[in-house]
Amino acid sequence: MDRRRFLKFAAGGAAGATLAASVPYLEPMLRKPQLKTERREVPTTCEMCVNKCSIIAVVEDGVIHKLNPNPESPRSRGMVCARGNAGLQQVYDPARLKRPLLRAGARGEGKWKPVSWDEAFDFAAEKLKAVKEKCGPQGTLWSSTESFQETFFKSLGLALGSPNVERHPTLCLASVNLAYSLTFGTVPSFDLLNARYIIMSGANRLESFIMPDTVDLVGSTTERKARLIYLDPRFTVTAAKADEWYPIRPHTDLAFILAMLNVIVGENRYDKEFVATYCSGFDKLAEHVKTYTPEWAETETEIPAKDIIRIAREFADAAPRALYYAGRRSSWYRDDFPMRRAQAILNAVIGNWDRQGGMVPNAKIALGEYMFLPWDDPTAPRVDEMDKNFPLAAKGDGAYLKMRENILEGKPYPVKAWMIHKQDPMNALPEQAKTLRMIEQMDFIGVIDVQMSDMAWYADVVFPESTYLERQDPVEVLAGILPVVVYRQAVIPPLHDTKPTLEIVQGLAKRLGLSQYFDYTIDQWIDAQVKELPLDTPLEYLKHHGVYASPDGPKYGTTLKPDHRFVTQSGKIDLYSDRLREAGYDALPVYQTPMQPPAGRFRLILGRKAYFTQANTTNNPWLNTFAPENVLWIHPASARSVGVEDGDRVEVRSSVGSITVKARVTQEIRPDCVFTMHGYGKRSKWQSRVAGAGASDAEIIETAWDQVSGGGAFHETFVKVRKV
Amino acid sequence: MAARQKRYALAIDARKCINCKACSVACRAENRVPLGKGRNWMNEELRGEYPKLMAVFEAEQCHHCADPACVRVCPTGASYQRPDGIVAIKDTECVGCRYCVVACPYDARFFREDRGVVEKCDLCAKRVDRAELPACVETCPSKVRVFGDLNDPNSKLHELLSKRQYRLKKPEAGTGPQIYYLL
Repeated sequence: MDRRRFLKFAAGGAAGATLAASVPYLEPMLRKPQLKTERREVPTTCEMCVNKCSIIAVVEDGVIHKLNPNPESPRSRGMVCARGNAGLQQVYDPARLKRPLLRAGARGEGKWKPVSWDEAFDFAAEKLKAVKEKCGPQGTLWSSTESFQETFFKSLGLALGSPNVERHPTLCLASVNLAYSLTFGTVPSFDLLNARYIIMSGANRLESFIMPDTVDLVGSTTERKARLIYLDPRFTVTAAKADEWYPIRPHTDLAFILAMLNVIVGENRYDKEFVATYCSGFDKLAEHVKTYTPEWAETETEIPAKDIIRIAREFADAAPRALYYAGRRSSWYRDDFPMRRAQAILNAVIGNWDRQGGMVPNAKIALGEYMFLPWDDPTAPRVDEMDKNFPLAAKGDGAYLKMRENILEGKPYPVKAWMIHKQDPMNALPEQAKTLRMIEQMDFIGVIDVQMSDMAWYADVVFPESTYLERQDPVEVLAGILPVVVYRQAVIPPLHDTKPTLEIVQGLAKRLGLSQYFDYTIDQWIDAQVKELPLDTPLEYLKHHGVYASPDGPKYGTTLKPDHRFVTQSGKIDLYSDRLREAGYDALPVYQTPMQPPAGRFRLILGRKAYFTQANTTNNPWLNTFAPENVLWIHPASARSVGVEDGDRVEVRSSVGSITVKARVTQEIRPDCVFTMHGYGKRSKWQSRVAGAGASDAEIIETAWDQVSGGGAFHETFVKVRKV
Repeated sequence: MAARQKRYALAIDARKCINCKACSVACRAENRVPLGKGRNWMNEELRGEYPKLMAVFEAEQCHHCADPACVRVCPTGASYQRPDGIVAIKDTECVGCRYCVVACPYDARFFREDRGVVEKCDLCAKRVDRAELPACVETCPSKVRVFGDLNDPNSKLHELLSKRQYRLKKPEAGTGPQIYYLL
């Protein structure tokens, strides 16, 4: 028996009782056991991250008791992760947004006045109209992130006449999406389940995010002996499970990939038939990679040349069941795009395209569309000037950091109103001081969210959205190797005076004179969507099952016909890209030796834990317990060099700010890097667990972006560390 | 013919564990375990020096022993073993003396101040009685835990234990632990 543990439990008693008293959700368990009068199970769809796993909510006496996995969805692989399980706490969080709020003090002061929905709508509409009057509709900015009702929010901005809908990809995976799109004409899935040889760099798939790929990777590496080669400056869970871990020098992954291409092409190990039939520009590629030898790459990456050669050979030998996995959050470096494109090219030359165990173009399921009244396209150019700055990037998503720079400079025109849908730019963007300046220069800020995020904390009006377990959403197709249609139905009625996004949008539209564009109900919208499904009573089916999976299994090789036209410039897989060349970029990935931190400084690298991933669940009590504050990982030798010991409080200073956190001296990181987690040091006092805990990485990350995709470059910051 | 008596047990394949904490939160949700306490937990171990490192993640909870020490020491009969092997606690009989907490070789029990009783993993007996999997088993993304009936020759658990080597923790404690750690 461990006495300490025993005593610790005894000491925790008062805290436990207080918690139960303050969380209405926990009250039922404190009552005497009673017979359950009602127990029902409702299949629906998780919203704790972007994976949209299918879940079954168990409701007992009107209270959601548990969220279980729905085995009917091939997509969610019969799992619910930690975040998915903790979704209950989002609904029953006593500090969630419960009614519309108007700011009553200065921005960020935290003084709020509860108001009726009519007051909130009237206030916001007046402000939006005033900005439209003053600056034109382009003077309003509409920020949103991926969710099932995002479409209504974006439509309101567009219908008002603003071109400035700014989405999350340039803070996330814009470079990887663009690299694969320009190479293959689409962004494929990776068939990890059936792969035999997997290389991962720039992705920590077993730890940063629990998704189907995570499950498949565990399956393939443990059950089927797939080999996993993992490159990361940090010893992560993926490193722990990999067959080989190389703590690569940061920012040099491109050198490793080019050297692999050098070996595979130089030794004639590529798939000649596939390259001849489906690829364009191979000769130029062969010439291009000649100088990128493994010996040269060793000096860049610190991975021994003999290992690079062996890995290249093993990779090619395992083809087509070999893949170089594309990352998800690929907002790393100023030249992130060439690295992601080199991965795509490497995958192409070994012929793993559309093959089992390789890369597979996503299958889809067709849905219908509700025919709403269309509005005129906005006439003004985008404030981030996508056409000029990032001509090849996805225009509808925008480029977040360039947008912020332009708005701060007031060019090409002033933007004075900012509507935000369930996003937290305060933490998602680097250099928080700049975001605060952008906030300061806004005449109006409105936020729709389920909790008082840091962004909501700075808003003038906060619209509380009903949580995902309290509302019905449009159905959504999740494309992939196994495509599914998922449905989110209300498990319980809203607990508070909240509304789904569509009704918030309609409330604003009415006052902005735009009602005609939103003249439908969510039921009409869904009916139009599902009527195309090959089912007799599709909505009944979805209400009963929560998910519809195509009865066909995975299909491989649908594009492997010599006359198949890829959606690229050449109609083939563009190894060499004329489109890139014409736009003024390198047609093939060119390596430039990156800056490394000077003596006395460290590269700040970021990474994620799946129970948080983004910043919005660090305050969830069931998740916060795993990491109540963020700490700075630092190697023992580096810690010694700056006089820091484990547990010391340290100042971490970059050129744009400084934060103070505790040091965690650990072997699990390269000596030239430091690492910290994301989503702490919140300003919103309503997020009480993380308001004073740790610090926000957003305060010290410098502003930089990838030149081609416009995606943020979050690993370019060098910091000084000193004990305080 | 009488139905064969069930004997529930768990196998744990630690190689598959990615320390994602889904089991921990699922248990907290299903059993309303107060913060700061847990019916299951992770043993994490890091070995070696940079860059030769190794990490082990090993889930643990009540071992539902064949001869449970906690049941032996319980003065009121609150701690008991069901015929199917599940070691459980009758809340109404527990007087909070905590002998069982001390007796457990695995430190799997804790005292709940708010209710004055001892609590621990009961393999989600309520769910099992509805023929559902324990919450930790069902929710796991990589299916580290395999729950089943040792007496059912057709169960996945039976198959795994007949094919794979395994180890038991602290067998020397003499309680006959029933969590099989696959090697």
